[in-house]
Amino acid sequence: MTEFLQLVVAGLTTGSFYALVALGYTMVYGIVRLINFAHGDIFMVGAFLGWTVLTTLAATHMPWGIALLLAVILAMALTGGIGVIIERFAYQPLLNAPRLSILITALGVSLALENGVLLIYGPGFSTYPHLVSTAGFVLGGAQISYVQIGIIAVSLALMAALYLFVHHTFIGTAMRALAVDRDAARLMGIDVERIIQITFFVGSALAAVAGVMEGLYYTQISFFMGFLVGLKAFTAAVLGGIGNIPGAMAGGLLIGLLEAFSAGYISSRWTDVIVFAVLIGVLVIKPTGLFGERVVERM
Amino acid sequence: MIKPILTAAVPLMLSLAGGTAFAADTIKIGVPVPLSGPYANAGIDIVNGGKLAAAKINAAGGVLGKQIELVPEDDGCDAQMGVQAAQKMVDSGVVAVAGSYCSGAALPELTALKRAGIPYVLDAATNPKLTEMGVTTVFRTIGRDDEQGPFAAGYMANDLHAKKVAVIDDNTTYSKGLADNIVASLKTDGVDVVYYDAITPGQMDYSAVLSHVATLMPDVIFYTGYFSEAGLIAKQAAALHIKAVMMGGDATNDPTLIKTAGPGAEGWTATTAPLPQFLSGAKGFVTDFTAAYKTAPGPYSVYEYDAVDVVAKAITDANSLDPAAITAALHKIKGFMGLTGDITFNAKGDRETAVYITVVVKNGEFAPGMMLDPAGKWVSVQ
Repeated sequence: MTEFLQLVVAGLTTGSFYALVALGYTMVYGIVRLINFAHGDIFMVGAFLGWTVLTTLAATHMPWGIALLLAVILAMALTGGIGVIIERFAYQPLLNAPRLSILITALGVSLALENGVLLIYGPGFSTYPHLVSTAGFVLGGAQISYVQIGIIAVSLALMAALYLFVHHTFIGTAMRALAVDRDAARLMGIDVERIIQITFFVGSALAAVAGVMEGLYYTQISFFMGFLVGLKAFTAAVLGGIGNIPGAMAGGLLIGLLEAFSAGYISSRWTDVIVFAVLIGVLVIKPTGLFGERVVERM
Repeated sequence: MIKPILTAAVPLMLSLAGGTAFAADTIKIGVPVPLSGPYANAGIDIVNGGKLAAAKINAAGGVLGKQIELVPEDDGCDAQMGVQAAQKMVDSGVVAVAGSYCSGAALPELTALKRAGIPYVLDAATNPKLTEMGVTTVFRTIGRDDEQGPFAAGYMANDLHAKKVAVIDDNTTYSKGLADNIVASLKTDGVDVVYYDAITPGQMDYSAVLSHVATLMPDVIFYTGYFSEAGLIAKQAAALHIKAVMMGGDATNDPTLIKTAGPGAEGWTATTAPLPQFLSGAKGFVTDFTAAYKTAPGPYSVYEYDAVDVVAKAITDANSLDPAAITAALHKIKGFMGLTGDITFNAKGDRETAVYITVVVKNGEFAPGMMLDPAGKWVSVQ
């Protein structure tokens, strides 16, 4: 029972990172039908930008709480901006081109981001300061830290905020209109390009939060950290039903739990095999995912 | 994975374009190490160690009246890139090769270099297979995993008095080889191996595995992979309040582990070939290296220094730049005093005497731990 609880906590923590990144995959797919394979690397860029801001502010002897808050906000804004720039120059010219062109461009953007960070920050590991304590409490024999609770809470709150944004604001309504029919939305006077850019901004900013949290929690960040997380988050988005916001969240948490249980009860060497077997299984048996909706109503 | 294929293709195209220009005025020695990817720092340290040796030799007039030129190549710690790196070095006309970091890359490099008849002196790849395949052109200035295995097992059994040990590897050639050796030696020493399985490197979270291992109540958890995962494991084990002694092999002996794990690194014990700062012959090397590169020499640079040095000695002895003659001269090396001690190669190309020590993280840095004296007693490293 103790081990089971411990695995649930570990799974929900990693699952929260996957879920936040999966939200970006799912939003972008919902709006422009693009699987943005560079999204995992945007998460990585977010982690590095957060690290840069945090270490720069640390040099000014600012209180850690404020520095951290500024780091998260600046990382979100900058990463969101990079998302918009990528959309403007890499994807927008290809929005009406065949699907394959834009998919290959996404892979190119992914490589460009990885190698860009490699050139700027070097090939070694960068280390976040050890800010978060390992303090926590024991529940049923399992060791649960406050940070883990915090990570899960932050990702749930952000998902809820995103859901409200999409369903209860004018921009959100425009997003959903775009998801149904881009041309009809344009005819109704919606500024399609701007809405797409807002989608990229929000998705990238969420990935940046995940990146900074991952940096704070694990402390170790590197230029290739986005690859595996990106793949897992994509799997989460597909599992939940790509284009579906609560689905991405549930998919992320499920992948996290699946990883933890397979590592704890079977063998850690099998976790990736199991996760990607699930992806293939879902695509074969239920291509719309667990929460799959009618194809046209994706948000 | 698309990334390694793309990165491997570019050096190939460059090597085709570069052609085979043999420079007559220098003696080229290849240095294949990871210069990109997660282990690039270790590779750069190794190249810098080799450069110090080349500079010393060149300042003393070179070898056979010619200057030594090192040719570093990026093998990315990857089998495929290793083959490309070996081919590039052959194409650029190296007469010998002194380098390596990952056994997984060194194995295919060795195969390619053997085909070209070029001797390969390993400085950091410790997998026994490298010198066990009957290749006559391979040598090694460092110990082997099957020497480290019994040492590590002996430390756990006799110094820590461990009854139950969990062994975790990362499925790479080096890590799996070392883990197999440790498990076999633990069984010989009568210690119970309660867990033996692999993790996948690159996943950030190992707390699921660690919580499972914790339920088996081991006295020691021994991880045989590299420092990046070891740092995460140390940190997460501390967060789970795991009481077992955390240990690792020589690839965990890297300051990155301490930076990643922070306070969680305290007590991490690594079995390793002696670091230059713990070698009586290498005091000057540590000073020179630190002055030249503004950083500590890392665990392997001194073994690369000796590898380059011993190759230069073999070229002098052979009085020839023919790789076959250099190989023959390397086989005859007896009692060469390197910075790491007496270098005498046995029939397989391994050193006759390889020493291991333990290092322990204390107050945020690696401090010398224990070693086995010639009488078989555990004593503190001075």
